[in-house]
Amino acid sequence: MDRLPAALALQDLHPGLWLGHQLGRPRGDGVASSFAALDAQLPGGGWPRRTLTELLLPHPGVGEVRLLAPSLAAAQRGGRLVMLFDPPAQLSAWALAQLGLDVEQLLVVQTRTRVVPGSDSLWAFEQALRSGHVGALVAWLPPRLRAERLRRLQLAAQAHDGAAFVLREMAAAQRPSAAPLRLALRADGPDMLALRLLKRRGPPLESPIRLALPPVLSDAARQRRSAERTLQAPALSVATFVDLG
Amino acid sequence: MLWIALHLPLLSLESFAATLTGEQARSPLALVDAHLIATVNPAARALGVEPGQKRATALALAPDLLIGQADAVRDAAALTAIAHAALAFTPSVCLQPSHDPSRCADTVLLEVQTSLRYFGGHAKLLQRLRAAVAPLGHRVQAASAPTPLGAALLARGPRRVHASVAAEMQRALDGTPVWLLGPGREHWEALQGMGLATLADLRRLPRSGLARRFGQAMLADLDRAYGERPDPRVPIALPPRFESRLELFARADSTEQVLHAAGMLLARLAVWLAAQHAFVRGFVLAMQHEPRWRSDAQVPAQTLLAVSLAEPSRDAAHLQVLLRERLAQLQLPAPTLELRLAAREIVPGEAPSGELFPSAASEREGLVRLVERLQARLGAEHVQRLQAVHDHRPEYASATRPVDPARVGQRGAALAVPPAPLRPVWLLAPPEPLPERAAQPLLAGRALQLLSGPERIESGWWDHALAERDYFIAEDAEGALVWIYRARLPGREAAGWFLHGRFA
Repeated sequence: MDRLPAALALQDLHPGLWLGHQLGRPRGDGVASSFAALDAQLPGGGWPRRTLTELLLPHPGVGEVRLLAPSLAAAQRGGRLVMLFDPPAQLSAWALAQLGLDVEQLLVVQTRTRVVPGSDSLWAFEQALRSGHVGALVAWLPPRLRAERLRRLQLAAQAHDGAAFVLREMAAAQRPSAAPLRLALRADGPDMLALRLLKRRGPPLESPIRLALPPVLSDAARQRRSAERTLQAPALSVATFVDLG
Repeated sequence: MLWIALHLPLLSLESFAATLTGEQARSPLALVDAHLIATVNPAARALGVEPGQKRATALALAPDLLIGQADAVRDAAALTAIAHAALAFTPSVCLQPSHDPSRCADTVLLEVQTSLRYFGGHAKLLQRLRAAVAPLGHRVQAASAPTPLGAALLARGPRRVHASVAAEMQRALDGTPVWLLGPGREHWEALQGMGLATLADLRRLPRSGLARRFGQAMLADLDRAYGERPDPRVPIALPPRFESRLELFARADSTEQVLHAAGMLLARLAVWLAAQHAFVRGFVLAMQHEPRWRSDAQVPAQTLLAVSLAEPSRDAAHLQVLLRERLAQLQLPAPTLELRLAAREIVPGEAPSGELFPSAASEREGLVRLVERLQARLGAEHVQRLQAVHDHRPEYASATRPVDPARVGQRGAALAVPPAPLRPVWLLAPPEPLPERAAQPLLAGRALQLLSGPERIESGWWDHALAERDYFIAEDAEGALVWIYRARLPGREAAGWFLHGRFA
């Protein structure tokens, strides 16, 4: 042990090793999410490649597409395709284009509209992961998915050099998952998103990360909204004060 | 001249196994010819079944023995596929005819002297040749010699010799057993009875005496094998169209039972394409129905399954995946006994280059195959691309179209995007009516707070889907933004508040 040079710390021995208070160091850099506050908290400095990233939502439409759009658009700029599996509602091509995505480089796969006997709805997603030719994948998984099915997807994702997101219901947070990175998303006021890191390769993060999404509201509307908030807040404190007295 | 002989010792058994389903092919098998067992597979041999036994004896030994009829036509079709695979390496390919007219030939001969340089030497060529015939699922014994008959004899012999010069070949032939000159030949038993073990023993005898006893033909064969007499061969020609058929051993009620035999036909198609230096853009599998089921006028004579490809291909594995997905969806109206595979639309092209590292072209090809596979299983209309339409009504502004696999990965014209206002990504179809309390719309029982609006959209008077709506951006109780509207003029559209989109 004493023959080791003093400068060589334990975590330098192998990239798979890290100390409890450090972030894990995956092979290769992550896909930048373009949200600096989030990248700083993710091992590898971005969305991980070759693994699944699990996002838990209370319901569709909290800002998840605006969160993922910059990294999906980056994959498209690299000349690669983006595939969406079973989106929960109709997609608006104009809205996606406004978020910087190229709708020509986007494929939407509906696997649950038709029941194919003897097959599962995750077959298509697994095929796309395994092929390794797709730039980025987003899949809305069926509710109450068993852990071993997710594990199978996680194994398939090892062939996929890019980000792969699975979106699930919030109740899945209570159950174990094979995905190395899990986040819970929650709307936090207009055009704001609160992210709770449920699991990552690194120390647990207690406080949620607040991100400002690309704004839907005009500046004027947002100012009006925040003015209403500040108006409401003193009124509450006065009421509390009166109650105490 | 350098000839390679490919001898298929188990040709008839393997061509019979191709007509079975996957698990049947692994059970004990035997072929009968004229009521006697002609060939058995190792599983049957382990149970004591031997060639020459009577059918009843064999069945007594192995009650679950699958007995098929030897079929020279079926064997010839299988051998033709091997010859087609060989044609990808040299234009001069011929079949070594059998001595016994009732038996099919079982040896393919290739003259490869002129191809050696291109394929990087004899060893490399042989390796690629073996890889090319491997998908056809035959056991192959290969030998090389300067004469065609010499190569054919060596390929049948106990030792596989690759002799490039005449002296080496003659040494190898000298040690070859006499019985290799072929069963079915005249006086075959007599030759063995005379105590002649090897070809060297035979050649030591006086020629005039041999000619009198065994005929001139055998001497001539011996001379051709040793290269002392010219042996001209007529090369076979590749048929310009591909069509191959396979009669199933047992009738197939479901499409899964067809799959094994169809895979064999596809492997034959792939080797034919390689010899043709071409790719296929589509193929048709015809499943012939049994005549007695056809008495019902409802049942057609055959079921046709046409598979077309976005990108021309000759990869048997890829073709098989597509066929499997398509077959899984097909319901056979009646059992089938015979399969025919025909290639539709042949596209000549260069051979795909083997790449060590993925390139843009190989990635695109992989992507096209992925989309084809998804479409084959899910249906073409469920693999969609989005199209932006110039319409103010949100529900008509996006359209989904089935994606054309051939166009996957090609960039279209850039969309001129209006910078503002930002539209919601999720659109509810149809819009969800919202309850109302004190003129305030409610979502999930809680009041929505209007933050921005109204934005008036009034369009579509020309196609009977008039929309006259005032859109608002509202915040729900959790802080997420939704897009809601109120019909402007009650009466034409349903009145009240509607949830139309979510800003995801």
